[in-house]
Amino acid sequence: MKRKDMSQLRAFWNEFKRVKFGIVGLVLFVVFVLIVLLEPVLMPYRDANDRWRDMTYWLDSPRNAKPVWVNWFTAKDYAVAEVLEPTSVTESQVGSVRMITMEFDYDFHYQRPPSDLQLVTRLTGNASVQMELIRPDGETLSYQRSTSSSGTRELRLSIAQNLQDKVFRLAIPFADADVIAVENPETIDAVATLFAVAGPGMLRDTEPLEGNYVCRLTVALGSSESSVDAAHVIIAGGVAGWMGTDASKRDIWSGLIAGTKWALLIGLLTSFVSVAVGVVYGVVAGYFGGWIDSMMNRVFEVFLSMPLLPILIVMSAVFKPSIWTMIIMMCLFFWVGPVKTVRSMALQIKENTYIEAAKALGASHRRIVFRHLLPQLVPYAFATMALSVPAAIVYEASISLIGLGDATVVTWGQILQDAYASGAVLQGTWWWVVPPGIAIALMGMTFAFIGFAMDTILNPKLRTR
Amino acid sequence: MDNILEVKDLELHYFTQKGVVKAVDRLSFHLKKGETLGVVGESGCGKTTMATALLKMPTPPGRIVGGQILLDGDDIMPLSESEIRRRVRWERISMVFQGAMNCLTPVYTIEKQMRETLQQHRQMDKAETAERMRKYLNLVGLSDDILKRYPHELSGGMKQRVVIATGLFLEPKVVICDEPTTALDVVVQAEIINLLKSLKEELGLSFIFITHDLSIEAEVSDRIMVMYAGRAVEIGTNEQIYGPQGSAHPYTQRLLGATPRLHEEVKELSFIPGTPPDLLDPPSGCRFHPRCPVVMERCPHDDVWVREVEPEHMVACWRC
Amino acid sequence: MYWRYAVRRILYAVVMYAIVIFIFSALFNAVAETTQMAQITEQVNAESRGVQQASQMRPEEIQQWRADRRTQLIQQYHLDEPIVSRIFWRTLNTLTFNLGQSTQIRSSAGENDVWLVIKERIPRTLILFMTAVVIDVLIGVWLGLRKARKAGGLMDRTTSIVTMVLYGLPSWWLGMLMIMIFAFTFPIFPSGSMHSTPAPTGALANFVDLLYHMALPVIALVLLRFWGRAYITRNIVLGTLQEDFIMSARARGITERKVLYGHTLRSSAPPIVTMSLLALLASFGGALIFEGIFSWPGMGNLYWVAVQQNDVPVLMGNLALTTGLYIAGLALLDLIYGLLDPRVKVGGKA
Repeated sequence: MKRKDMSQLRAFWNEFKRVKFGIVGLVLFVVFVLIVLLEPVLMPYRDANDRWRDMTYWLDSPRNAKPVWVNWFTAKDYAVAEVLEPTSVTESQVGSVRMITMEFDYDFHYQRPPSDLQLVTRLTGNASVQMELIRPDGETLSYQRSTSSSGTRELRLSIAQNLQDKVFRLAIPFADADVIAVENPETIDAVATLFAVAGPGMLRDTEPLEGNYVCRLTVALGSSESSVDAAHVIIAGGVAGWMGTDASKRDIWSGLIAGTKWALLIGLLTSFVSVAVGVVYGVVAGYFGGWIDSMMNRVFEVFLSMPLLPILIVMSAVFKPSIWTMIIMMCLFFWVGPVKTVRSMALQIKENTYIEAAKALGASHRRIVFRHLLPQLVPYAFATMALSVPAAIVYEASISLIGLGDATVVTWGQILQDAYASGAVLQGTWWWVVPPGIAIALMGMTFAFIGFAMDTILNPKLRTR
Repeated sequence: MDNILEVKDLELHYFTQKGVVKAVDRLSFHLKKGETLGVVGESGCGKTTMATALLKMPTPPGRIVGGQILLDGDDIMPLSESEIRRRVRWERISMVFQGAMNCLTPVYTIEKQMRETLQQHRQMDKAETAERMRKYLNLVGLSDDILKRYPHELSGGMKQRVVIATGLFLEPKVVICDEPTTALDVVVQAEIINLLKSLKEELGLSFIFITHDLSIEAEVSDRIMVMYAGRAVEIGTNEQIYGPQGSAHPYTQRLLGATPRLHEEVKELSFIPGTPPDLLDPPSGCRFHPRCPVVMERCPHDDVWVREVEPEHMVACWRC
Repeated sequence: MYWRYAVRRILYAVVMYAIVIFIFSALFNAVAETTQMAQITEQVNAESRGVQQASQMRPEEIQQWRADRRTQLIQQYHLDEPIVSRIFWRTLNTLTFNLGQSTQIRSSAGENDVWLVIKERIPRTLILFMTAVVIDVLIGVWLGLRKARKAGGLMDRTTSIVTMVLYGLPSWWLGMLMIMIFAFTFPIFPSGSMHSTPAPTGALANFVDLLYHMALPVIALVLLRFWGRAYITRNIVLGTLQEDFIMSARARGITERKVLYGHTLRSSAPPIVTMSLLALLASFGGALIFEGIFSWPGMGNLYWVAVQQNDVPVLMGNLALTTGLYIAGLALLDLIYGLLDPRVKVGGKA
């Protein structure tokens, strides 16, 4: 029987190769596997997996930034998010005070200003800080602060949040008098004004001032224990990353990549285990017949009467499962899928004379089931497994969407849940809502192609060539 | 013309993925008015295919690629599909199918199916159809309360009778019976055979009777055509084939020889060695030559077609 | 014949329902009881305050009264009996729609009774779901027939590819997309809920308003699902077309149109109906999530609300009723099948 099985499988593979979309499916599957394997390379934010919910990891990104390629389609380009390192650092000594001056160059050549500009640095001990922002037209904004504390703390200066005052005053000589009368530092878009051409429209109808902006940071360190380091300027641009960022500043592209392995894991594990159980169940019921079959049928029918998603929802709400428990829960219900068909196939095969012959030769039940029955069911099992994968992924996504998923893992469903809960649908943050759904659809499509290709081979009368 | 049906060089090929199968290969025969022509042969020799060809309904991927079919003198080959459907099929030539099991639509009542057929071909109102159906059902020995039934409620024999009634009630000239008794038990078989015989007399029909059961063939047929691998190998009268002199073609002889006789002592069953040829790659020349006990030198090389060797007796063999 | 079949099938459904509810009752017993005890405590507190005000009992008497009342309630809810008994009572209560009180959620009339909370939502879910099902089946079967007629042709192959492409797409995600596009970017349709506020007056205006709100969710549901229907129909019809009785009908000179729409379709109807309704029942779950996206005030939406407010009695009551509808759907399926297939409807041999 073994040789016959091998050649059967090989014949099956040959047939499969001829169905074009089956090959497409396989190729896509390989792509997904590659994505999972190359995850460290593909994710710009390496720790996205573990630190997805850690706000501090994402501090330096803009909020709700669009994907970078949006710029290819718009006439008015958005500023790209950047993190600037100092272009020059100079040190000097003035008496007992050490002065460190750092300069950052920002080449603003976009038509839409960023949403924020932040200067971030770490200070230890006594330190006096002076920041100057020099625009291409020479206008300068400056700010000073003295802090003293023995510990290390982070200093974060944000134009949008801390320095609106200064920006407003910068604009006063130029802007329209009527506008100045009405607006105040809280009501203007400080960053837009900072990057606007000096003129009457500086406060309200801003026109971008392109050119090189210089940010100069001068730190006066009072004692030898004081220090300054990790200074950088953050441009919270309008576009960032391959898929933009979400309302919590997370890079969506990294999230998508991270979610790939979970999707594959959930889908493949659930479908493999549940179909395997279902096939064995159906074979045993069909093969042994009699009261075993009747009893197994009863149990099976009870499971059939249970609507899957509502049960999953309530179970998740009550037991609050982790992702693994969820997989187990899904397997508990998915196994019913193949049973009916497998049982009737087993019943048919059982009637074949070679089975009778095997029994006459003294083959044990186990041998007959495993050697003769199951191998014939392998193609059907594979087709069913392939077609079950998308369902498992969608169920997990549905449970996550409603808020009952495992929040410690980054799945596409979790990303969609965040999107929905944050009102992305109402706000039109399409780059948050669309890509995870497309990812789910693509993976579903992959397994649909594979599964349907197998299906067409197994049912020859459906082929129309 | 005495011939109600004349078939000349009929060719039906199946165009499959693996190649062309010549299921019916230059078949020629005729059917006289009022006679029964029996068609015998092994499974796969082309009998049923030939029947579908006569109705111009080849099963895909089959196609009729050549030949003429003269029905009462008219060649039906050049006619369009809609013409055939309206004026030839069932009107002039009908078919009684084998395995009446599955040729009745399971979701329609008998009445609905029969009436549908009648109204398709004739302008009849409900009363007229009812009358016609009753008449023919009675003719085949059924009462008309089966009209309200569904096919699965009838026994095999009853279904066969319904199929016969349906095949006849438009009063066609030619009726093809494709293994009408194969799936029935012997008693019912006999009834059906007798029924067909009496109907032939009463209604003046001409039958083509296809079967692989030689004994039935002997019962019903006036003339017999033996087919092998898509070709006719022998055509003759009942007497010429079954008579004491024996038939002419080696295949026919072996076929008849393989049937054990009730009154003889049978020590060993004779059979024809080998298997029917694969029509994808048939033997060259005479198709029977690999299995022929009296094969000659020229048999594998030259194609052979039926030729008259005595009046009404045609044989396709180089020995004759 | 058929009536016997129908009665048996319905009885079977009822038995199945009872068994499933029993399993649920056992599974969720712990959490249900916790909630019940909390509710009892609340009730005792509220009542004792009233008693205190109304009568002039001394503090010890109040305490006693509370303890007594508590015991009384516990007995009333059978919480003092062994566990199997408790589960049994819970099952019985659920089966008689005695679903307890909600902890937070109220019906539109302000009622607390879980059964009433859910009951008013049932028709809303049914309207949405049934409409989508009917349109889905109509379009799907029509398309499937056309595919079967020209099987292997360009239209057939293209639509099959589309079916596969859309196979793994969650319907609720499509719903989100459609809301983004057709309710916000191009504000053609409302973004959710069943009626506008303020609701229009007059039956006809009300009806039109309802249709207006149903449009987007139904479109989203149908757009995704009818491909599957078409695919299944096509396969079944193709299988039927190879049957002998189809060849026989053609041989009898029946027009191709009648063969296809009469003999073939009618014969294929039982398996098509079964497969379609099974698939649709399976998508019932997704439709529930769907309701949340569209704020459609049905049973599905109730899951969302109950989860957010952690209202356990409502969750479990909803589950019980959803399951009931589901099992009823399965039974209905079999009954329709029985009607369509004369072998079941009429049965047996003459």
